[in-house]
Amino acid sequence: MANIITLLKRQLRAYFHTPLAYVIMAAFLVVAGLGFCRPLVQHLGERIGVGELLFGAPYFWVAVLAAVALITMPLFAEERRSGTLEMLLTAPVTDLQVVLGKYAGALIFFLLMTMPTAAYFILLKVVARGMAAPDWRPIFTGYLSLWLIGACFIAIGMFVSALTRSQVVAAVGCFVAVSIFFFLDTVRLVVPGAAAQEALTYLSSAQHVREFAQGIVDTRPIVLYLSLAVFFVFATLKAIEARQWKQL
Amino acid sequence: MSEVLKQYSPFLELINRVDDGRVNFDFRESGHASCLPQPAMIKVEHVTKRFASAVAVNDISFEVLRGEVVGFLGPNGAGKTTLMRLLATYLAPTRGRVFIDGLDVFLHSLEARRRIGYLPENAPLYPEMRVDEYLSFRAKLKGLPRRKRRERMEEVKVLCGLKDVERRIIGQLSRGYGQRLALADSLIHSPELLILDEPMIGLDPNQIRAVRELIGALGRRVTVVLATHSLAEAEAICQRVFIMNHGRIVASDSPGRLAAQLQCNVSVAAEIAGPPDEVAEQLRCVRGVLTVQLAEPAAGNLDDGAVLWRRYRIGCRCGTDIRPAVFGLAAAQGWPLRELSLEAFELEDVFVELTASAGR
Repeated sequence: MANIITLLKRQLRAYFHTPLAYVIMAAFLVVAGLGFCRPLVQHLGERIGVGELLFGAPYFWVAVLAAVALITMPLFAEERRSGTLEMLLTAPVTDLQVVLGKYAGALIFFLLMTMPTAAYFILLKVVARGMAAPDWRPIFTGYLSLWLIGACFIAIGMFVSALTRSQVVAAVGCFVAVSIFFFLDTVRLVVPGAAAQEALTYLSSAQHVREFAQGIVDTRPIVLYLSLAVFFVFATLKAIEARQWKQL
Repeated sequence: MSEVLKQYSPFLELINRVDDGRVNFDFRESGHASCLPQPAMIKVEHVTKRFASAVAVNDISFEVLRGEVVGFLGPNGAGKTTLMRLLATYLAPTRGRVFIDGLDVFLHSLEARRRIGYLPENAPLYPEMRVDEYLSFRAKLKGLPRRKRRERMEEVKVLCGLKDVERRIIGQLSRGYGQRLALADSLIHSPELLILDEPMIGLDPNQIRAVRELIGALGRRVTVVLATHSLAEAEAICQRVFIMNHGRIVASDSPGRLAAQLQCNVSVAAEIAGPPDEVAEQLRCVRGVLTVQLAEPAAGNLDDGAVLWRRYRIGCRCGTDIRPAVFGLAAAQGWPLRELSLEAFELEDVFVELTASAGR
């Protein structure tokens, strides 16, 4: 455990000691802010669900997907390229500790990045005095979906990063993978067969976040994201261990 | 009879330990336990590492004893780095087994790693970290308790000459400092075994000397394995040298003896002042001499006033030392003689000979 915390701290420092972290955060918050404002202006004078303000906007989710790709790209690709992975994996720590330390570091960065968006809702409460008191519950479920999806997609991104030594390849690969997964309900439109279409709808994150934004907590997607996160952490571990038996 | 043998068994074991002539007796520990043979620091049994494109290490076996300083020499692509990675537990062998201090590195990887200080090729570091920060991170990762960490960091910083850059960002350091930082990192947990892959690259001559002295000083307590393609380095530091080529060990011995193996065609250099043709003629008549070559006189160097100095390279038969005979000849003829030296084969010649022939 001590080793995981040491590695986690190192990972967080690696983010905040380079401009990358600040660029990602700033860009994310700008796009998220747009995603918050647009429905607000569009539906001026109408009743809308407060959860849909942020979590209903496709901009916001595209920003999340892009941010995940950028957060996870250096995790293993950079260490592999520079050779520091060799230093790390010959220290007396297990491969699992290395993977978990990095995963936790990326996850915490994701939390830190998304946390400031809560200010939008607080601001809304403060500024819009005439508005009816917002229902906090859909906001909470919205954040729940955001962090669940974050946990799952970061694991996917970390896995992609463990497969290559190029950060660009890792970022693009991750972005494509998580975008397809997120917009499976759009992919559905080009897939023949009613059963397949229905299955894809169930798996589509876009579908899930819509429900969460309405305040509906469905345990099925929760289980899906958590188990996918565990699976990809495990897959990353195997990709790192592969050096032991792979004939490169 | 068996009773008697049993009584003397500690001594028999001692004798067994002495047979390689390297074992140091440790009298601080008393009793039977100290007589038990300690496992070799490194034991490699028929190790092969195959990659898709090539066999990097091909059926290698060797042992390294405690306190030894051994070097692996070889041209680029000989498999040195792969072998270092196998020893450092970064890679697992395709076939064969590696033991560090008696521990199978595949089964007891973490235990083995605690004993190893590893400096990979090119000394990879995190460029965004500061020197102190990096050492502290590595010390934590290697399980140094908090109290010892500070103290040990100071020690290795002094040892590796990093005191004046401790607050600097690694990315802004010169190559030599980076190399020294990586070396400091490999030493920080006081390992019993130091594995250094090309430790001198990027260092200036002063630093090379400092690192050599450091390794020499450590070599009394620590086992050192280093990979290098610099012959001078291996010759200066190592007690034993393994020459690798195409994934195999083609020779292993002390640097001096390796050179001696090839010393069958020895040559002697002599500087004699005398009529060149006559000197050469007379030299050829000396017993054991095969060839005599007259070196071109270097401008200004060889003409010493009236006396005409000439340098002769005399090739002679294996196992004969012709120097006394040459001296006798010069004395008898009244020719002044100012240099007479054996041109011993350098390790470089062994290296070229072995790696070139095995490559054919």
